[in-house]
Order: sequence, then structure tokens, then C-alpha cells
Amino acid sequence: MPRFWVVGEPNADGSISKLSTEVATLARTLAAAAGGEAVGVVVAAEPDRAAGELAAYLPRVVAVADPGIARHAWSVPAAERVAAVLGDDADGHVLLGAGPDGRDVAGTLAALTGRGVLANATAVRWESRLVVEMGAFGGKLVTSSGFTTPGGIVTIRPNMVTAEPSAAAGVVEGRSPAGDAALPRVAVMDSVEEAGAAAPIEEARIIVSGGRGVGGPDGFELVRELAAELGGAVGATRAAVDSGWIPYSQQIGQTGKIVKPQLYIALGISGAIQHKVGMQTAETIVAVNRDPDAPIAEFADLLVVGDLFDVGRALLVALRERTG
Amino acid sequence: MHIVVLTKPVPDPAAAAERLGPDMRLDRAASPAVVNGNDEYALEAALKLVEAHGGEVTLLTMAPPGGADTMRKALAMGATRGVLVTDPALAGACVRSTDEVLAAALRELTFDLVFSGFDTSDGNAGVVGAAIAARLRLPYLSNAAKIEPEPDAGLVRVRRITPTGYDVLEAPMPALVVCTQVLGEPRYPTLKGIMSARSKEIASRSLADLGLDGARVGGAAATTEVLDSRKPPARGATTVVRGSAAEGAAAIVSLLASRRLI
Amino acid sequence: MHPVSIPPSGHRLTDEQVLLRDTVRELADARIAPRAADIDRTGEFPEDIRRLLADHDVLGLPFPAEHGGVGGDLLTVCLAIEQIARACTTSSLILAVQDLGSLPLRLGGSPEQLARWVPPLASGETLICFGLTEAEAGSDAAALRTTAVRDGDDYLINGTKRFITNGSVAGLVTVFAVTNPDAPRHRRLSCFVVEVPTEGFRVARLEHKMGIRGSPTAELELTNVRVPAANRIGEDGDGWTLAMRTFERSRPGIAAQAVGIAQGALDAAVDYARQRKQFGQRIGEFQMIGAMLADMDAQVEAARQLLYTACEVIEAGAPDAARWAAMCKLVAGDTAMRVTTDAVQVFGGYGYVDEFPVERMMRDAKITQLYEGTQQIQRLVIARALLGRGD
Repeated sequence: MPRFWVVGEPNADGSISKLSTEVATLARTLAAAAGGEAVGVVVAAEPDRAAGELAAYLPRVVAVADPGIARHAWSVPAAERVAAVLGDDADGHVLLGAGPDGRDVAGTLAALTGRGVLANATAVRWESRLVVEMGAFGGKLVTSSGFTTPGGIVTIRPNMVTAEPSAAAGVVEGRSPAGDAALPRVAVMDSVEEAGAAAPIEEARIIVSGGRGVGGPDGFELVRELAAELGGAVGATRAAVDSGWIPYSQQIGQTGKIVKPQLYIALGISGAIQHKVGMQTAETIVAVNRDPDAPIAEFADLLVVGDLFDVGRALLVALRERTG
Repeated sequence: MHIVVLTKPVPDPAAAAERLGPDMRLDRAASPAVVNGNDEYALEAALKLVEAHGGEVTLLTMAPPGGADTMRKALAMGATRGVLVTDPALAGACVRSTDEVLAAALRELTFDLVFSGFDTSDGNAGVVGAAIAARLRLPYLSNAAKIEPEPDAGLVRVRRITPTGYDVLEAPMPALVVCTQVLGEPRYPTLKGIMSARSKEIASRSLADLGLDGARVGGAAATTEVLDSRKPPARGATTVVRGSAAEGAAAIVSLLASRRLI
Repeated sequence: MHPVSIPPSGHRLTDEQVLLRDTVRELADARIAPRAADIDRTGEFPEDIRRLLADHDVLGLPFPAEHGGVGGDLLTVCLAIEQIARACTTSSLILAVQDLGSLPLRLGGSPEQLARWVPPLASGETLICFGLTEAEAGSDAAALRTTAVRDGDDYLINGTKRFITNGSVAGLVTVFAVTNPDAPRHRRLSCFVVEVPTEGFRVARLEHKMGIRGSPTAELELTNVRVPAANRIGEDGDGWTLAMRTFERSRPGIAAQAVGIAQGALDAAVDYARQRKQFGQRIGEFQMIGAMLADMDAQVEAARQLLYTACEVIEAGAPDAARWAAMCKLVAGDTAMRVTTDAVQVFGGYGYVDEFPVERMMRDAKITQLYEGTQQIQRLVIARALLGRGD
């Protein structure tokens, strides 16, 4: 019977990450198609809350409490404990979110279990085998790939699946960690919160982004106001980040985040390939730019030609009038 | 200090000519190869550290023989030498083979740190670093925004980017670190660096040299395969609105409303 | 920002030359191109670009490695000039004149002179300029009036030089002066390296020019400037020959500059033609525009290939090096003028305004038909070589 293991990622506050609930939903769909089972695994010093929340999405969740993980980098010990839970289920597929922690676990798990890895999937289906869709070459191509080995590891991008709880909550099985931790654990000496650090931008449904045209950190105030009005996140191009106007965590593009929001509003962004790669699969793309021939005109749904501050402020007014 | 930087030649993203061959593998002849962009950040970080602490930087690449040419640019940036693992059996190798081969090559070297780039522009997987660290039992520190080795104490401190800021990680060396662009812009090779690169050593290793079996580690043993590829669905035509700011704003609101986004 | 351009062909270049060229190209695109319009508008010498070029060893390219240079051959130096000129002609002139000004020294200097002056030139901390031209001695270079009179172990130099590029920012001036007024025409001149500032040396004025506006073009007054005899390059009377041998290697540098300007203009025009729509389609698809672009492309490539061949031939020591130097400069200069003018035409009205770079490129291109020997002088050189009159 095919088994689809979901490695749940706990947030810093102990809750389950949104991305994990998306992956869990996907696992359930695959299990149904394959006539198999979807099982969650949550590894943490105190996994109960996250495991309980994940159980809303899966019939069974294994919660491994490993107090030794506390104050250590999570991914390597988590991968070891997951490998132990997988045990001799050599055929089981492992699904993870394609965030920094998920991919770290994926890599470690690949070495521990000999499984292949297909990363950054945009869709996963079951057609007698697992078929994984990924974007290639900056999105120019969409490839469908499979594993030649029985079980594989897949990391899934945020926002590709809508999280849907199961009809009934699943059970949580507590388990103690089996065996010694063979891989070195890295100590976390300190956790620093930085002002202005926002929720992971990959999970945002709506993103309002600013580019070179915004002109400076003050210009990003307008971007923030629009994002707030729409309930979205603030994004930026590399030019804006390199100029120091906004932190790297908000950068979208080839060397930043790849996002697939429902709405992407690009203010003062030319749409050059390095940025395009990060947002071109957004469902709706609206651009505001002074230059009607900017590359973004080729793939936006709507291009408003004009000054981004004038149009942006008018948009704020128009949006507030609707809700007000 | 001795830092090994993992680098990979990839099709030049600026040329935008990447494509799959008839065998559904990357057609490496279709575009000129360059050093993977993210690897340059790792290399820059390594160069800065050996400039501060003394030492050398070795490049390690698994690639077809032409990989030596691509390595020259990285050598020109200031790396001391290169190691190229190349073998016909490796064509089409998957992630699992890559990390097994690189781990085997690393076992032959003595180092304080191994740096890898965030991911590659031709594969984007970004998991090779973690897999190698697991195989070699090295402490694994990823998403690095800052790297501070203390050679006298034999440890390294790394700032790891988190959603809310960063964690400060600490581990004994030797260790493996995955680098991000936040570490700083890569330098251009100096022209003197380019001229001196021609005389820098690039050692070649085959699978036999590493004691590996091509049937187990090469393209023939790939754990994944591409089944199909297609172009993504074309987006519809772009509506262009000129006129006053108010008209532009109204057009946006109308579109968003029609798509139930507001 | 520089538009995406037609990738340059590298099939006759070594891998190393390709890497050198591409490094300078990236540097030019990222750090020099964004400054070009400002440099032209303010007319200020771009000290930041000089430092950038020095820091990246670009100014070291022409100089031997043993004295701190990069040891690039003629083609390599030209590759660098071409890539910089694509972005900014003024900036390319910094390298071109570092090369030109130091050629007499590199061609005829003694080991002591090389050891003394090459290191600061190679590091880029000192600039050097070429002091030949005078108000009454442009094309007729032998008609110099600046004199250098022996006085004990020194020479006293008197005269005025005109149109000296970098004359106001250089620390060394290669001065040509009459030392033997009664000698045959081509044995009257000697060549001196003058360290400035020095007593009696004055920058009298700077020209306001049509183009290369960030490059200081100076009038230099020398009044009893005292220079040790050890600063003379070669023997008394070697000046003329040194100047001619210099041109064999410096004219390709100007050709490279011209090819670079032309390529930059072509890139801008192609980019514009790809994006600008009129009558419902991209203007590049209208035959008149397409034909212009095609001609421009072919002409630039032809000029480039002639330049590269000339560099190889001259570096190999061909006896008719002067002819090759003149040919490549002649063709490249005329190509640059033609291509930049056509580029403005492709842009239409927008080509005339400074929001776009092509009007600056057209103004910059003109000088390549004028300095380092006018196009007419180049033709004389070539004709004489063909007809067999050594001169």
C-alpha cells in the first residue's frame, strides 16, 4: 500500500506551519487516488500542539518528542527522527514544504534513506506512480518527473495547494525517539527578531511589490499602505533590496523568493527576467509603470501607464471608498 | 584556513537558451556555461574569510570536462586551485549521485569549512549541501547571512535567516555552510586574477579515482527522470490603460473586483 | 541601464581574452554605463571611474607584469577599450590615453626609466598624457615649436601644447620638443617625460567640446620647465620616430573606442526598435528601419574584425604596421560616425534628446575621425604605404 509521509514543520510558537497543512492536504488527495495512506510526522522538543493541528488534516500523525532538539537547529535532528519513523517503509514517499527548513530536511533525509528528491513542485499527481510537476529554466518550461526508485522525496512550493481540513480529525500517536542521534547537532546560541521582518512572503495571497521606480525607503510607505489595505504582503525587486530600501526577506526573483500569489501588484518594476522568474505564475498581475514598453507589459494582465505614486495614492483612495 | 567551495557550471541564464535534449536531460551544448550565480556568493564569502584569516580556497565541481573552463573565472576571482570530478558515466546524474560523488571527493581533502550556494539556476533543488553534510557527518548550517569562523577555537558561528530575523548558530569545524546572497556581492575577477588563473591547478578526478562505480552513481542510476515537458499556459493579452491616475486606479479596482480579489 | 545586446562573437579570441573582455564588459555595464549621461552633462572628469579602473587592474592592462602591470597584448588592451567605450566614451579615453601617453616610454625607455615610472602608471595612481600637438602643429606634427634646450645636465623646455587629453589630471606628461632645429625634418624632435606639477608648468585652459565632455582637453604652457636629461626617452632626435611608432599601437586603441561607441549605439537602436511600436507594430519590423539596423550591424562587425586583425598583425611585428593601424582607425572612425548618426535616426525625435544616449554617442563619435591623426592623415599613411614611399 503506498504511503505518503508528511513532515510537519512547527512554527517557533509551537503551532503547525501553514505550508505543512497545504502539504498534508495534498498527501490526502494522493493517498485517496493511490488507495494508500497519508501519515504526518512532527518532530520537536514539544510536538503536541503542532501534531494536534496537523491531525485536522491527516488521519494519523506521529508526534516524536525529542527534548534534545530544543536550542538546536531543527532540520538535521528532525530528519534523523523522521528516518527512524519511516523505518523499513522503503517505498513510502515523503512530502515536505519547499521552505528553508523543509528543503534542509529533504536533503538530509535523502542521504539517510537513499531516496531521490524532486524539489519545488508546483503540482503532484498520482498516475500509478507519483508524477511531480516543476518549473524549469526560469519558468520557461514545466516538466513532469517521476522517481525511478520506489519511494521519493518531494518538496512542494507554498500556495500550490489550498489547505483543507479532513472531515474528521485524525489521531496523534506519541513516540519517543528511537536510537541515538548520529548526525551532529548545531547549537542555536541566540534567536534575534528584527524589526520589520514580515510573515513568509511565499505564503501571501496578495503581494504588492516595489522596484527601482519607488526611489527610496520612504517610497515603500505607499507600497506598505497598499499591501495593508489589500491584506497582502510587501515584496521588492533585487534593486530595491540592494539599495537598502527593504530587507532581503521581501525580495522576489531569481535570487530571492519564488511566489505564486493570487494577486501581484508591481509598482515601478520593469519586469526584467531576474524578477519575472519570481512572480510570473501569479494568477493576476497588475503593473504600474511610467514606461509603456517595459518588459512587464508582455506578461501583466493589466498595465497602468503612469506615475506609481499618483496611481498608487488614487488606488488607495478608491479601495478605501469601497470598504468605507 | 582551508575552505572548499562547491561550484557548478550551469547554462548562462542571461543567454536564456536553456532547453532539454531529446533524452529529456539538460542539453548542455545549447548554451554557454557560467559558474552558478549563487555559488559566486559562497566563493566571495570564502575569499573574504581567507583574506582575513589567511588560508586557501579550493573549488570542487562535478561536471563534464568543459567544467574546467568555467572554473577559470572562479579561479580568477582568487580561489587557489580547483578539483574537477568528471566522468562520462556521470552524464544525467541526479541529486543523489551528485551528493555521493561530492562527498567522496571531499573525503580526500582536509578542510575547515565547505560552502555551498543556495541553489542552482538550472535545477533549483538546493538540497545537495544538506545531503553531503549528512554523508560526511559534518555539522550543517544553512541559510547563512553571516559566517564567522574562530579558527583558534576551532568553531564557526553563523547567522541563519529566519522568518522573523535570524538565529545565531555555533558548531565545531569542520562544518558545511549553505550561503545566501546576503553575504555580499561577489567581486569581479581582477584582470591580474584572470591572467594568473591560467597557471592555477585544476586536478581531475574520475569515478574510479574516487573508488565509485559508474553503474551505481552515474546517470544510469538516476533516481529521478523527466517524463514530459511543456510550455506553461500563455497568459492572456495585456490591457494597457493610460490616462489620469484616477482612471488607472479605477481600472485596477474593476479588475480586482471582477476576479473577486477584493 | 544598458539594454541587452547582441552577444559579441569570440571565435578568434583565446579563452583568457574572452574572460578579460567579459569582465571589463560587466564592469562597464554595471558601474560605468549608469554614470555616462552625468559625466557628459556635468563635463567633470570622472575620478570615481578612474579609481574603479585602477582598482580592477584595467589601467594596468598595457603594462608589463614585471612592473606591476597585467601584461596584456595590443588586442587585449583594445578589447578593454572597446567594452568601456560601449558604455561611456569619456571613460574609455582614460585607458586609451594611459596607453597612448606611456607608449613612447614603453617603446624607447631605458630599464631605469621603466622601473621608475611604470609601477605608478600600472597601478593607475598616476595618469600620463601625450604632449605632442600644438596650435600650429596638428596634422603637421613635425612643425612643432616647443623647444628643449640643453642646460648642463638638464633641458629647459619652452612652448605651449594644445588639445592634450588628460593634461589637467595627469602626473606625467610625455612632451615632444625640438632639440635639433637644424637637423633633417624627422630628427629635430626629442621626447621627455615631465613630472608635474613642476615649476613653469601651467594648465592654461580647458576646451569646451562637442563630445567626450568629461575628458579634460587642456592647453599646457611650459615656461623654462627644467627636466633632467635622464628624463629624455631614447637619444636626441629620436622623438619623431618614437611618435610614429607610438601611433602604430595607439591608433588601434582609438579604433577600438570607435567600434565600442558604434556597438553601444547599435545596441540602443536595436533595443528601441524591438520595443517601440508605431502603426500597430514594432518599428524594427518596418523594412527601412530593419535595413538600417542590418547595415549598422554588418559595418560594426567589419570594423571590429579589421581592428582585431590589425592588432594581431601589428603585435606580430609586421613591417607595414603603420598601414594597418591607419586602416583600422580610418574604417572604425567613419563607421562610428555613420552608425551613431543612423542610431539617432532610428530613435526619431527621441534620438535628439538627452533622455536617450544616442545623441551623446553621436557627439562622442565625431572625435574618432579627428584625433590621433585625422581621417585624411590616415589615408595619406595608407596611400604612401601602397605607393611605396617610406615616411
